[in-house]
Amino acid sequence: MTIAAVEAVDIGKAYGGVAALTKASFTAQAGEVHALVGENGAGKSTLIKIMGGRVRPDSGEIRIGGQAVSLNGPQAAHHLGAWTVFQELTLLPWMTVAENLLLQQEPRSSLGLISRQATLRDADALLARYGVMHIDPRALVEDISLAERQTVEIVRAVSHAPKILFLDEPTSSLVEREVEWLFGQIRRLREQGCSIVFTSHRWAEIRSIADRITIFRGGADVGTFTDIDEDEAVRLMTGRRVEALYPPLTPRPAAAPVMLEARSLSGPNLRQVSFALHQGEVLGVGGLAGHGHRELFRTVFGDAHASGGTLTVQGKEKKFRSPRAAIASGIALVPEDRKTEGLLLRMSVRDNASLAILKRLTRFGILKPQEERRAAQHVVDSLRVRTAGIGLAVGALSGGNQQKVLLGRWLETECQILLLYDVTRGVDVATKHEIYELVASLARSGHAILFYSSDAEELAHLCHRVLVMREGVVAAELHAPGITAEDIVSAAVRDHRAA
Amino acid sequence: MPIPETILAASGPRRSRLSHALTQNIGLALVVALLVACIILYCGLYIATQHRLPGGYELTSTLNNTMPLAFAALAQTLVVLTRGIDLSVGGVIDLTNAVAALTLMGGPVSTTIWTIAILGIGALCGLLNGVLVAVGRLQPILVTLSTLSIFQGIAIKILPQPGGAMPPGFTGVLANPNVPLSLIYIPLIGILWAIFRRTRLGVSVFAIGNDAMAASSHGISVKRTTILAYMLGGVASACAGLFLAANATAGDATTGDTYTLTSIVAAVLGGVSLFGGRGSGLGALFGAFVTVMVVNILFFAHIDPLYQTFYEGLFLLAAVIAANVIGQIVRRRR
Amino acid sequence: MTIHATRRHLLQTAGLGLAAVPLMVARPSFAQSSGKTYKIALSNSYIGNKWRLEMENVFKAALAMDPFKTEVVGSIYNSGNDVSKQSQQMSNMIAERVDAIVIDAASPTALNGIIHQATSRGILVVSFDSGVTAPSAIKVNISQYDLGKGWAEWIVKQINGQGNVIMVTGVAGTEVDLDRNKGADSVWAQHPGIKVVNRFTGMWDSSTAERNTAAVLPSLPKIDAIWCQGGTDGVLKAFISANRPLPPTAGEAENGFRKMMLGIGGHTVTGYSAGSPPYLSLMALELARRILNGTYPKKNIDVPNVFLSNADLKLGVNVFADQPDSFFDDFTAGGPTSPVDICAQAAIDGSACTDQKLIINLPAA
Ligand SMILES: Nc1ncnc2c1ncn2[C@@H]1O[C@H](COP(=O)(O)OP(=O)(O)OP(=O)(O)O)[C@@H](O)[C@H]1O
Ligand SMILES: [Mg+2]
Repeated sequence: MTIAAVEAVDIGKAYGGVAALTKASFTAQAGEVHALVGENGAGKSTLIKIMGGRVRPDSGEIRIGGQAVSLNGPQAAHHLGAWTVFQELTLLPWMTVAENLLLQQEPRSSLGLISRQATLRDADALLARYGVMHIDPRALVEDISLAERQTVEIVRAVSHAPKILFLDEPTSSLVEREVEWLFGQIRRLREQGCSIVFTSHRWAEIRSIADRITIFRGGADVGTFTDIDEDEAVRLMTGRRVEALYPPLTPRPAAAPVMLEARSLSGPNLRQVSFALHQGEVLGVGGLAGHGHRELFRTVFGDAHASGGTLTVQGKEKKFRSPRAAIASGIALVPEDRKTEGLLLRMSVRDNASLAILKRLTRFGILKPQEERRAAQHVVDSLRVRTAGIGLAVGALSGGNQQKVLLGRWLETECQILLLYDVTRGVDVATKHEIYELVASLARSGHAILFYSSDAEELAHLCHRVLVMREGVVAAELHAPGITAEDIVSAAVRDHRAA
Repeated sequence: MPIPETILAASGPRRSRLSHALTQNIGLALVVALLVACIILYCGLYIATQHRLPGGYELTSTLNNTMPLAFAALAQTLVVLTRGIDLSVGGVIDLTNAVAALTLMGGPVSTTIWTIAILGIGALCGLLNGVLVAVGRLQPILVTLSTLSIFQGIAIKILPQPGGAMPPGFTGVLANPNVPLSLIYIPLIGILWAIFRRTRLGVSVFAIGNDAMAASSHGISVKRTTILAYMLGGVASACAGLFLAANATAGDATTGDTYTLTSIVAAVLGGVSLFGGRGSGLGALFGAFVTVMVVNILFFAHIDPLYQTFYEGLFLLAAVIAANVIGQIVRRRR
Repeated sequence: MTIHATRRHLLQTAGLGLAAVPLMVARPSFAQSSGKTYKIALSNSYIGNKWRLEMENVFKAALAMDPFKTEVVGSIYNSGNDVSKQSQQMSNMIAERVDAIVIDAASPTALNGIIHQATSRGILVVSFDSGVTAPSAIKVNISQYDLGKGWAEWIVKQINGQGNVIMVTGVAGTEVDLDRNKGADSVWAQHPGIKVVNRFTGMWDSSTAERNTAAVLPSLPKIDAIWCQGGTDGVLKAFISANRPLPPTAGEAENGFRKMMLGIGGHTVTGYSAGSPPYLSLMALELARRILNGTYPKKNIDVPNVFLSNADLKLGVNVFADQPDSFFDDFTAGGPTSPVDICAQAAIDGSACTDQKLIINLPAA
C-alpha cells in the first residue's frame, strides 16, 4: 500500500467568484472504502465531479495510480477505471432501464446495429447478477422510484468492474435493506482491490463501512481519520457542537381532533390503507422502498387517484382531483425528488422559495418584491441555506441546500397538514438537527404531520406513531414511546425473512 | 457466486412486453389510431358524396402530395428530439427546390448526380444550423429563424422566377402521377428510422434530448450529436424539396415556406414531444398523413370556404388534446 | 345554397366529431344535383385580403344567378398560401370528377403537376389573377404591363410631359409588380421631361403605403403626379397630413381613392383609377362554362383594362359612400356592354343580386 489508488491534491474550484473548493485533498488506497463527510455545501460533490471528469478544476492535481492525470471528460476517467455515481442522478428519464444500463456499450447485431433484444437480455443479466430483479429493464426510468433509479445507477457503475468507484450520497434515497445491499457490493469490490470513495450524511453508515474518513469544511479538508466519534466529527465539520441530534418527543395532546383520515384507501400499490392523523401529531410512515409510501403520499395529495376508499380532511370528505385542490384544503407536500418534482432549477432561490405562497405575496396579481425577498430570506436564514444570495439559481446550490429550499418553501405556507416525504434526504447532520427541531415545533404549534423517511432511526425518534407499510398494506402500527429502528425494520421485512 | 447479502430481490414482477410497448409508444399508437379514424371518415364521406369507393387515383395523389410534408416532418423530428426546433425547414425546402429547378433537366446521370448534390446542400444547411447551435451555444429558435431568412434569400436569388421542368424520369420515380409508387417510401422511411434508432447516433440524439448534461457524463458528445442531428434534418428537408419539385414538375423558391409550420404540426400530431427526447420519425410520418387527410375530409364535407381553416384548426386542436388526454390516462392507469 | 346548408349543419354539430357525419352525408351533393350540366370548382389560395374576398363573393353570388344557377354546380376552396394543400384540394376535385377547375394559384409553377393531371383527364383548367405557367391551363388575365403603361400615359398627358413623379410600387418579386413597373418605365423612357424623383414600395396596402409615403415626403421636391400600384388612398392621406397639395394621381380602384376623386371627405384629387378587377373570377367562370358548352373556343383571354376618370365616377355605381376605403370598386365594370356587370351586394356578402341580371361579356371570340 505505498502507491495511492487515487489522490486529490489541493484542488480549487470557484463558480463565478464563489469558491466551492479552496484546497481540497484526500488520498484513497486500493482496497479501501473512503468516506468524504462535511456540511451541505462543503464541496464534496464538486470534488467528486472533478474526480469523475465532469468538471475541470481551477487548480490542484488529480493522481490516479500515482500518475498525475488530466481528465477532460467523463470518458477519460472511465479509461482509467474510475466510475462515478453523481449525486444528481444522470439517468435518462424517457429511456428504458435497459437502455440506460447499457448506454454507450450497447450490444450489436450481426448487421452492426444495436440489438434491442440483446440489450434487454444483457440488462436482465446485469440486474440478476447484482440481485436487483425487482427492477424491470423494460420500464422507463421516469416510471421507477428514486431508490430504484439510484440502484440502477449503482449497478451501471459497478458493472464496469471499476478500479476506483466514486459514490456521491448513494444511500440518501435508499432504505435499510437497500443500503445493506449496496454495502455488500462495496465490500465485494473492496475485496477485489477496488478503492471506493463515497459521501454520506448518515453517521451510522459511515461508521459501519468506511475504513477512513476525510472531513471537509468550507471547501477544504480538515483531516483524515480512521477512528473518530460523531460528536468530534460534527464539531470539525461545523465548527460547533450539536448536543442531542433528536429533540425530545412531546406527547401529543390526548383529545386532539383528527385532521386527516384515510379509510380503506386503495389504488395502484395501495391496499385498504386506513389511518387517522391528529392535530399536533407526527405520524411516521416507514418500510422498504416501493411498498406504497410514494403512492400513499401522492394519493393524499391529489396527484394520483384512489380507486377506492375515502379521505376526510377536518371532518369533511374530500376527493382531490389535483394537487391544487389538496393545497386549497390546507395540505402541503414536500416531495422526494427535488430535481423533477419540486424545484425549478434554473430559477432563483427567491422565486423557488416563494412559489407556494405566491398568493400571499401578490396584490391584484402583482408580486410584492420586498415581501417576496423577505419570505425567501426567512427560508434561507431559518434553515441555514448555504447560498451566495437569494438571486442565485437553485441548480447551483449543493444538493442538501436545494432540499432545504424545497422544505422551506412549504413551511412558509399556512397549510395545517404537512406531508413530508423523506425531507432529510441528503441533509447534513447539523441541518438535520434543525429540521427535527422544526418538525417538533410545528407539531407543538398544532400542525399535523405525515412523515415518511427512508431512515428508520429518524422515524423511531421523531414520531408519535409509525405505520410500517409492506406491499401496499399497513403491516404494523408502532406507538411511542419505545419505538426502535429495529422494530420498524423487522416489521417491514418480516415476510422476506420468513420466505 | 453472489454473496447472499448482495441480493436485494431475486425475482420481481414484470409487466408484459406488450403493455410496456403500448405505454411507451402511446404517441405512435394514438397517431395510428387517428389516421385510421381519418381514413374511415374520409372513405365514408367519399362514398356518401361520390357513390363509389376512393381508388388508385385518390391514393396516388394523396401519397404524392404528402411525401414532401412527410420528409419535412421527419426533418423537424430529428431536431426536436435533441430539444431543439428547426424553423429553417421551409427555407431549406425553398433552396433545394430552387436548385432542383435550375439543375434537374438533363439525362438520368446528370439528374442522379444533381439529386445527390442537392441532398448535400441540405446537409450543409443543417451543418450551419448545427454548428451555430452546438458550438455557438445559441438558441435553436433564433439560429434557425435567421437561417430561414438566409436560405429563403438565397433561393429567391438563384431562382427569381418560378420555373424549370423536372425530367419525367425524376417525376416518375419520386411522384409518379399514375401509380401509387410513393407507397414504397413509407416502409422505406420506417426501415431507415428503425436503423437510425439502432445506431449509436440515434441513441445519442434521444439521450441528449432527455438530458444533455446526463448524456455528456456518459461520454456522449453533445456537440457532435447535435450537429449530426441538424445535418440529417437538413438532408430530410432536401428530400422534401426534391419530392415537392417532382410533384409540381417545376420549381418555385417560395413554396417551401409553409412547411416550417406544418412540419411542426405533423411532428406534434405524431407524438413527438417539443421538449425533446420523446417521439419517433414514424409517428411524424403518420402525423403528416393525418394533416393531409384532414384537408381531404374537409373537402368532401363541402364546408363553407371561409370556415375551412377554422375547422382545420379545430380538428387539429381536438386531435392534439385528445391524444394528450388519452396519453395521460394510459400512463396513470398503470 | 349548398354552402349555407353545410355551414349551418357543421356549426350545429361542431364538437360532436363523428356524430356530424350522417348530417354531412345527408346534404345534397354534386352527384345528386343531376339536373345541372357542369361541375365547376374554384380553387383559391390566399383569402386574407379584401380583394380575394370580393373575388370569391362575386363568384359565389354568380353561382346563385343565371345562367350559372341553372347550368352549374359550383364549389369554392381556399388553401392559404400552402401549395401542397391547394394541390391536394385540386386532386380531390379531380376525384370528384368536376368538369372545370378555376384557379387563383399559390404558385405559378408548383401546381403544374396537378394541372397536368387534371387536363390529361379531360378537365378544363382556367387560371386567373395569380397565373400559372402550365401550358395546358387556359389563362384569363388583364395585362399588368398595359395597366402600368395606361397610368403613366395619363400622367404624361395631365402634366404635359413635364414634372416630378413618384412611383409607389407593389410587392417586390411578384410578376404583377414587375410588369406594372415595366409598363410605366416604357412610357417614362419616351418622355425625358418626366423625372421619377422617388420609387418606393407600398406593398399594395393602404397603411403601408401611407407610412412609407410619410417617411419620404419631407425629402421630396414639389410632386406633380403620383403613379401608384396600390394603397392609393394611403398615399394621398400622407400628402394631406403633410399639408401638400394633391397632384394628379393614377392609381388602383380602391373606394377610398375614388371617394377622394369625388371630393367626399373634403379633399379632391384628379385621378385615374383602374386595377386588377375582382370579377376576373367571373370571367374565368364564364369562359369555363362557354368552353364546356362549346360556344367559345378554348383559348386564353385578355380582359381589357377599364380606366375611370373623375367624370366617369357615379356614387352608388362605381364609388360607394357607405363602404370602407379598402373596398375595391372594380368588382363590376358597370353597364351592360362592359366586361362584367354585377350588383354591389354580391361583392359585399356574396348574395345574389335581386334587381339586376348578371352580365358577363367575353371578348369576341
Ligand atoms: N454550478 C454551480 N454554480 C455556482 N455555485 C455552485 C455550483 N455548483 C456548486 N456550487 C457551490 O459550491 C458549493 C459546494 O457545493 P457542493 O455541491 O460541492 O456541496 P456538497 O458538499 O456536495 O453539499 P451537499 O451535502 O449538500 O450535497 C456550494 O456552496 C454550491 O452553492
Ligand atoms: Mg453534494
